[in-house]
Amino acid sequence: MRVAMLTWEYPPRIVGGIARHCEGLAKALAQQGHEVHVFSLDFPGAPDYEEQAGIRIYRTRSEVGHPNFLTWVLLFNHYIEKRMADTSKLVDFDVLHVHDWLSAPVGIAFKHFARKPLVFTAHSTEHGRSGLHIPDSFTIDGLEWWSTYEANKVIVTSASMKGEVCGHFHVSDSKVEIIPNAIDPTVYDGQVDKGAVRARWGIQPHEKLVLCVGRLVPQKGIEYLIHAVPILSRRRPETKFIIVGDGWYRDHLEYIANTSGQRWKITFTGFISDWDLVALTKSADVMVVPSIYEPFGIVALEGMAAGVPVVASQIGGLTEFIEHDRTGVFVYPRNPESISWGVDHVLSNPGHADWLVKNAREVVRKTYSWEAVAKRTAKVYKEVVG
Amino acid sequence: MPEEFRVLSMMHNIGAVTAERSLTVDELAQWTGMDAGTVKAYVQKLREDGYVEFVQISGIEKYHVTRTGIMKVLTLYS
Repeated sequence: MRVAMLTWEYPPRIVGGIARHCEGLAKALAQQGHEVHVFSLDFPGAPDYEEQAGIRIYRTRSEVGHPNFLTWVLLFNHYIEKRMADTSKLVDFDVLHVHDWLSAPVGIAFKHFARKPLVFTAHSTEHGRSGLHIPDSFTIDGLEWWSTYEANKVIVTSASMKGEVCGHFHVSDSKVEIIPNAIDPTVYDGQVDKGAVRARWGIQPHEKLVLCVGRLVPQKGIEYLIHAVPILSRRRPETKFIIVGDGWYRDHLEYIANTSGQRWKITFTGFISDWDLVALTKSADVMVVPSIYEPFGIVALEGMAAGVPVVASQIGGLTEFIEHDRTGVFVYPRNPESISWGVDHVLSNPGHADWLVKNAREVVRKTYSWEAVAKRTAKVYKEVVG
Repeated sequence: MPEEFRVLSMMHNIGAVTAERSLTVDELAQWTGMDAGTVKAYVQKLREDGYVEFVQISGIEKYHVTRTGIMKVLTLYS
C-alpha cells in the first residue's frame, strides 16, 4: 500500500502528540512493508527531503506568510499540495491519511483531484480543546466537520473521542474507527543514574519528585497541580515538583506558582531533549497528568512504560487505559485536593506503588504497541481502498 | 495571552523563522500594525526568553523566531 500521510508536525517539528503519533505509525507501517510518504512543514535544520527507516519525508516551506494563523494555514496547505502534485507524477498513492484539520484542505483537494480515498484521524477537536468563542474557532470547527464529512473513514484514539466526533459533527457511528495511540516502550529500557539525574534538577536524596509533562496550555490542567502544591506540602514537606514543557499559558502558570507560597519547590524546565525527558521520567517518584480535556493522554502511557506510578484525572481517553488502583490512580479533574490525595496515596504505599507500576508496564507492552496500531490502521486503508 | 506572545506568533506566521528570512523591527511593525517602539520592547523580552534570535545582516539588525520559539507558538494551535 502506498500511503501519503499529511501532518503539520513531524519530528523534529514536535508540538504535541501528533508528531510522535505520525512517526510511530509511519515507522511501523514501513516495517510491515507499506510505502509511506510523509508530507509536512519545514523546520530549521531539518532537510527538505529525507528517507528514514524506509519512510520518505517531504518537508515543505511556505514561501508566503500572513500574520493571521488561519490564513497562514491555508497558505501552507497550498505549498504542500504543490509538493504532493509533483510527487504524484512519480508515485501513485493508494490512500491519503490526514492528521487533524491543519492539513485537511490539501488532503480533501487531493482526494477529489486524484480520486483517492481519504482517511482522517481526529486527534482532538476545537470544541473540546478550547470551546467555540472566537471567529477563528468557528472556522476551525467547520474545517474539522468538513474533514470528517469528506473522509471515507475517520480514526480516533479513544471511545471518548468517538463520542465527541459522532456527537458534535453528527458523523455516523460506523464511519468512525477507534485505534488507540501507542508508544515505543524500548525507549525506557536503558539504565539511568537516577541519583545523578535528580541531583541535576535539584532533588535531594530524601526528597520526592513529582513530575508533570505536557504543553503548557489550559486543557492540560497544570494550574490545578500547582494549586495542589501547598496542600500536599502540608502532608509531605519533602515533595518537589518539576513541570516539563512550554506553551502560551506558561506566564500565567508561573504567576500561580509565584503566588503559591511554595515557588521554590516548583521548577519549570521549558522544552528539554528527548533523552533528558526519558531520564527524568525514569527518575520520578510520581507522574501527575492533571488534564481537564484529554482525547487520549499519551504522556500517561509514557509514564506507565517508564515505570513511574501515574496519578491522572479521571477524564477522556485516560479512563480507557488506566484502571484505578491497579495500573494507576485516578483523581477528580480540576480538584487540587484530590490531586494531593492521589500523590500522597502513591507515596505513602511504596509496595502498592511498585505493584501499580508492574501492572501498568504489562498493559502498555501487551496492548499499546505501534505494530498493533499499524496493523489496525492498514486494515482501515484496505477497507477504504476496496 | 501575553502581548509579546502575539508578536511571536505573528513573526512565525509571516515566516520569520530562519536567519535568511529574519526581519527588522520596522518591518515587523509594518506586518503587525504596532508601533516600532512597542515591537522592539516585545522582541527584546522574547530574545531574553530564548524565543527570538538577533542577527546582523549587512550591518542591519534583524530578528527571527528560534526553534524553541516555533514550538512555543505551535502550542497555541494544538
